[in-house]
Amino acid sequence: MARIELDNITKAWGDVVAVEPTDLTIDDGEFVAILGPSGCGKSTTLFMLAGIYAPTGGEMKFDGHVVNEVEAKDRNVGIVFQSYALYPHMTVRENILFPLKFKDIPAGRAPEMVEETARLVQVEEFLERRPSQLSGGQQQRVALARALVKSPQLLLLDEPLSNLDATLRLSMRTEIRALQRRTGVTTILVTHDQIEATTMADRIICMSRGRVEQIGAPEDLYRRPNSLFVASFIGAPPINTLSGNATGNAVSLGDSVLALLGEARGVVTVGLRPEHLQFADQGLPGRIDGIEPMGREILYLVKTPLGDLRVLEAGSVPRRSAEQEVRLHFAPEDTLVFDGASEDRLPDVHAALAEETKKRA
Amino acid sequence: MAVVSALSQTDWDDLAQRARRRRLLSQSALIAFLVATTLPVLLPYFWMVAISFSAKSGGVASSLLWQAVSVLIPAVIAIALVRTFAATRRTKTWGSLVIVAVAFGLIAVLVGPRLHLENYRFLWVRDIVAELPSRQGTAGVGTQFPSVWSAFGNSLLLALSQTVIVSTVSTFAGYYLSRFSFPGRASFLQSLLVLHAFPAMTLIIPIFLIMFWTGLIDTVFGVLLVIVTLELPFSIFIMKGFFDGVPWDIEMSAMTDGASRRQAFFKVVLPQVRVGLIAIAVFSFIKGWEEYVFVRTLLIEKSNWMMSLYLFWVADDIMGVDYGIVAAVGVFYVMPSLFLYLFFQKYLTQLNIGGVKG
Repeated sequence: MARIELDNITKAWGDVVAVEPTDLTIDDGEFVAILGPSGCGKSTTLFMLAGIYAPTGGEMKFDGHVVNEVEAKDRNVGIVFQSYALYPHMTVRENILFPLKFKDIPAGRAPEMVEETARLVQVEEFLERRPSQLSGGQQQRVALARALVKSPQLLLLDEPLSNLDATLRLSMRTEIRALQRRTGVTTILVTHDQIEATTMADRIICMSRGRVEQIGAPEDLYRRPNSLFVASFIGAPPINTLSGNATGNAVSLGDSVLALLGEARGVVTVGLRPEHLQFADQGLPGRIDGIEPMGREILYLVKTPLGDLRVLEAGSVPRRSAEQEVRLHFAPEDTLVFDGASEDRLPDVHAALAEETKKRA
Repeated sequence: MAVVSALSQTDWDDLAQRARRRRLLSQSALIAFLVATTLPVLLPYFWMVAISFSAKSGGVASSLLWQAVSVLIPAVIAIALVRTFAATRRTKTWGSLVIVAVAFGLIAVLVGPRLHLENYRFLWVRDIVAELPSRQGTAGVGTQFPSVWSAFGNSLLLALSQTVIVSTVSTFAGYYLSRFSFPGRASFLQSLLVLHAFPAMTLIIPIFLIMFWTGLIDTVFGVLLVIVTLELPFSIFIMKGFFDGVPWDIEMSAMTDGASRRQAFFKVVLPQVRVGLIAIAVFSFIKGWEEYVFVRTLLIEKSNWMMSLYLFWVADDIMGVDYGIVAAVGVFYVMPSLFLYLFFQKYLTQLNIGGVKG
């Protein structure tokens, strides 16, 4: 178990900067997710923590000790790769035993540790099989066992669920989280899947283009995103974004205008989450252009004077039909307004329907 | 409606019958083709073995060859038929075994009494030329023929040393080329291919001169150096391909599991390229075993003869060509390669250049 600190960590490949100077602190026993699209530097950060890549600059500390130059083999880090990276020529037992070969384990203790860890992830029946004889989910468990058997001070998970089918992903999510709670190991999960990040992690580090965009609890990132990037990346179906010119207390979008609570000038982007838009008797007029049932909810695509909007309504049977004329309503405090140039959120600004739009019934 | 009624009148049985006939026809054509192409490949080996056990004092008993062939050809065709048309695996295996047994029985009856081991006397007679009837009493300069075992030993030494050197060097070089970047890597890789494409024969005079000046002429070590050098570029290239096929992940995984880079290489990466390594080893062994041109050019002393030279001199030098002995030496010469292939066949068929399969 360890407390991890990154102090101004940078990684560049020649002139290409993969990770810009980054500061991070991860507490002992915490489960943190690094979330971002592919190529955002999240895996590079992970591999720096594992000791596979050497950082170009900055300091990396485990429990206060600088580990920049400590070799991967001496860091006592367990890692689960996206491909699982099991050793194909070894049985499951040999795979799990492998990390123990390089440690000072009291004689005869190693086989017991293998059995214990195998029981923990429920692969004890498969110990004599080869990885190729296992299903994806079982391989995943073996990879977890191999990472956990040496009681690592840090567990790194690199997109561990992306090769599993949807049902299995759901149950592995729960299982990995439970396993982490039981073992108390500090864990960093790298993923591009926001659901994985929000459901499993205590805190999320959202990265984009080598930069940390925001660090916070899942609900913080959802409710109070720092930037347009975080707002668009978190939430499914994605947030509606409308760009227009702000003139103090109003912003013109498409063929219409929204009122601004607070003040903004220049280009701004207004974000409206689909689940915050409601059908109402009065409000923004629109026409339904498409209907996508999603099981528990229905996603409507609505053409409005502001632009095309995604609207989410609870229920499993569509209550509206295509081409139907509707009115939309939203609460101003649910809206997010971003500066057009910096894409940072303007925390004191919200958008509301203009008075004349409201009155039209 | 017209289409529907036309369909309903279709004679399905007739269509099925026609499909069956077509299948039978194409299968028969295939078998005929395979037999026709297999026999010319098979026959020379069969004849070599037959001659080595039957020829007497230089002459080949051609009636015996034809009798043997008249058993062999029907047997090959029969096996092809059984393999194709037998319904179950069991009948296939047993059918083939029965045919092979019958063929052996027939050959034993037809030609068995005329077989003998006389042509293999080179295995136990020290100097086969000296005791030839035609050479009795003549003490020529070139008559001291070395024992076949000395040539066998030399060939084995050359082939094994080449195998060890080529496998070792191409494994490490292939790994380095696959995993590390260094200045000139791309041109190095290209030059490997160019070197392989370069016909070695054109180098034979310069190589002879270099060997002569360095004093390596007429030494097994000199030949070894030359053929290892010529063999390496391609082997390195193939091994690089195999290492390319090993995912980075498992190597990184081994290192986070506590292995050093060297341990990761030996315990995790090397086992993944086993097939390539075996293929390289088998091929370089056979290359060394069959080497003729450089052996012929660079070795002079008889004590340095290889199997290929022994075969050449048996055929060329001594005795107005004794086909029996030539064939027997040929059979003896082929044996090690044959056993090697049979033993490693499983791995060689998995080989596809540039990657790991299966």
